[in-house]
Amino acid sequence: MVSLAQQQPIQQSFNPYTENGGTILAVSGADFSVIAGDTRQSEGYNIQTRYAPKVFKLTDKAVLAVNGFAADGNMFVKKVKQRLEWYRHAHAKDMPIRSIARLIQTMLYARRFFPYYVYNILGGIEEDGTGAVYSFDPVGSYEREACRAAGAAQSLVQPFLDNQIYFKNQTPAPGTSFPQHLPLQTVLALVIDSFTGATERHIEVGDGLEMYVVLSRGSTALQSLQSIRGVQEITATNDGERVFVIRKELKKD
Amino acid sequence: MDYNGGSVIAMLGKDCVAIAADLRLGNQALGISADFQRVFPITDRIYLGLPGLATDVATLYERFRFRVNMYTIKEGREIEPETFAHLVSSTLYERRFGPYFVEPVMAGISRTPTGKIKPFIAATDLIGCLNFAKDFVVAGTASQKLYGVAEGLWEPDLEPEDLFETISQTMLNAVDRDAFSGWGAVVHVITKDKVVTRTLKGRMD
Amino acid sequence: MFLTRSEYDRGVNTFSPEGRLFQVEYAIEAIKLGSTTVGIKTPEGVVLGVEKRVQSPLLESNSIEKIMEIDAHLGCAMSGLTADARTMIDHARVTAQNHAFTYDERIKVESVTQAVCDLALRFGESVHDEEAMMSRPFGVALLIAGIDELGPQLFHTDPSGTFIRYEAKAIGSGSEAAQGELQDKWHKQMTLKEAQILALRVLKQVMEEKLDQHNVQLAQVTPSKGFEILDEVGLKAIIEEM
Repeated sequence: MVSLAQQQPIQQSFNPYTENGGTILAVSGADFSVIAGDTRQSEGYNIQTRYAPKVFKLTDKAVLAVNGFAADGNMFVKKVKQRLEWYRHAHAKDMPIRSIARLIQTMLYARRFFPYYVYNILGGIEEDGTGAVYSFDPVGSYEREACRAAGAAQSLVQPFLDNQIYFKNQTPAPGTSFPQHLPLQTVLALVIDSFTGATERHIEVGDGLEMYVVLSRGSTALQSLQSIRGVQEITATNDGERVFVIRKELKKD
Repeated sequence: MDYNGGSVIAMLGKDCVAIAADLRLGNQALGISADFQRVFPITDRIYLGLPGLATDVATLYERFRFRVNMYTIKEGREIEPETFAHLVSSTLYERRFGPYFVEPVMAGISRTPTGKIKPFIAATDLIGCLNFAKDFVVAGTASQKLYGVAEGLWEPDLEPEDLFETISQTMLNAVDRDAFSGWGAVVHVITKDKVVTRTLKGRMD
Repeated sequence: MFLTRSEYDRGVNTFSPEGRLFQVEYAIEAIKLGSTTVGIKTPEGVVLGVEKRVQSPLLESNSIEKIMEIDAHLGCAMSGLTADARTMIDHARVTAQNHAFTYDERIKVESVTQAVCDLALRFGESVHDEEAMMSRPFGVALLIAGIDELGPQLFHTDPSGTFIRYEAKAIGSGSEAAQGELQDKWHKQMTLKEAQILALRVLKQVMEEKLDQHNVQLAQVTPSKGFEILDEVGLKAIIEEM
């Protein structure tokens, strides 16, 4: 029999957050944008599902990738979509991507003291027709960039992208210079390499890869896209911007 | 492990190996030195990288030097890379419950009994668990980044010059995203008859 | 009990049997007591003009403020109970700033007009509540001018919360004559200069006093400079060109 004096108080605690793994990535080109994510969803060493999308089409010119706590991520995307619908009703137009970026900041910062536990990457086409990538931290700090990786394998992928997209630590041959923007084919190849690499070395990455491609009005990248096997168009309007998705298998071990 | 910072990577090529390390020595976030050597020649054909706690780096290097000298005298021949890897492993495991805070990475060229040469790389954790990889091994504060870049850049059967370029790019781009590594790097490319050592300039931030 | 028309006069929430809201109609009547205000849209921008009634020689005419800025790309001219307009313009300014803050873009002219009209209808809310914020309709009409991605636009709002887009519009005491004149003289390819002069001519016709730079005010919204109220020097130059 344990005496009362020996009994210890038991503290109960509730942790509202989980980390569900996975990685997302976006790269912008001159007149296109690629937004990709793997489809594995895990909790610790358990794989909950091999197909849980983390990349969502918002409009025909904006795609949002969400990584971190899946429940928060899904709810956040739902709320962003709702705000876009309200905006459409109030202002009779689709929200431009820089406005979506600002909206996401205000929505995230509104929860400064109980944040959505998610890293967001927004990709798409700017009003001037250029490819755009916006990246966010969980409380809404954001910037426009040419490329960004986030999530479990961010540390594996980002330095690779620094090297291959920004040509960091490389010197151009005399009399030449590095391109400001890469062609779509090159970008897709780099995205695939990034994810196969991350799948190889990170246990939370794998199963499937979804790559969304947003093309601006009359983008020349269309030809190279149509030659890819299994590409699917998911454009909704006739505004000019077009959205495609390419799905690939990743290793499942 | 990130008290002093630092990272090392070794890669396998065609009849050659390369080992690279950064040159930073820090005290937590404060940078102390930009020419801290953490890769040491063990024999003419074996190089050992010791990322981790700087005091243990110095101590262990001396211990390995002592043990390799003893081996050379007793056996009357140079130690082979595989043998040296096991020496590293057992030395570390001696301190199973009070380990040295280092994660050794080694690269060398070994000779098979038939006289052929075989490039060799290996790494261990801080208590000596050996990892003989067939592509590359990494260790240190930028290890995750090194894995990611190496996985994207490395390919089989690289010639010495291409291997040098690959390992250099891997090291520089990985440490640029690591607060505890960088401040320049040193690369050794080991082939059957020579070792080429180059010091790389890197970002100083 | 027999209900007289005057009983329906009282409640802002009660329709008369003929389907009228008398308080709203009276509010619209109140505007016709206000000073004349005109707005003219051209492909180069929008011009706003107001008459300032200088009731006393001791009155400092530059303290009469009947044209106000809403945002860098939005302006507003008023006629009627101008004190009510302060509330509305305050609301418009907050709406415009909130939009810029939340969406990192300039609010559309129609959207800010809609927001003002939403406010104009709030007189009907919770009349039994002690906390009710409005007791009666606003007694003011606005001409909201601005430029957005759809180009230069001019909107008219009234106390019923209705808003309509116009090429050119006059409100206030002289509005009937002024509107007739605008209909005669306005044309699609008007320059900004022509619009400024037309606005002054229209005001001159309906004003009792002799028009000068002290008793009228002009403002404009252009793509290059946004909203601006013309100073007396600039105004004098245009008056001389008339």
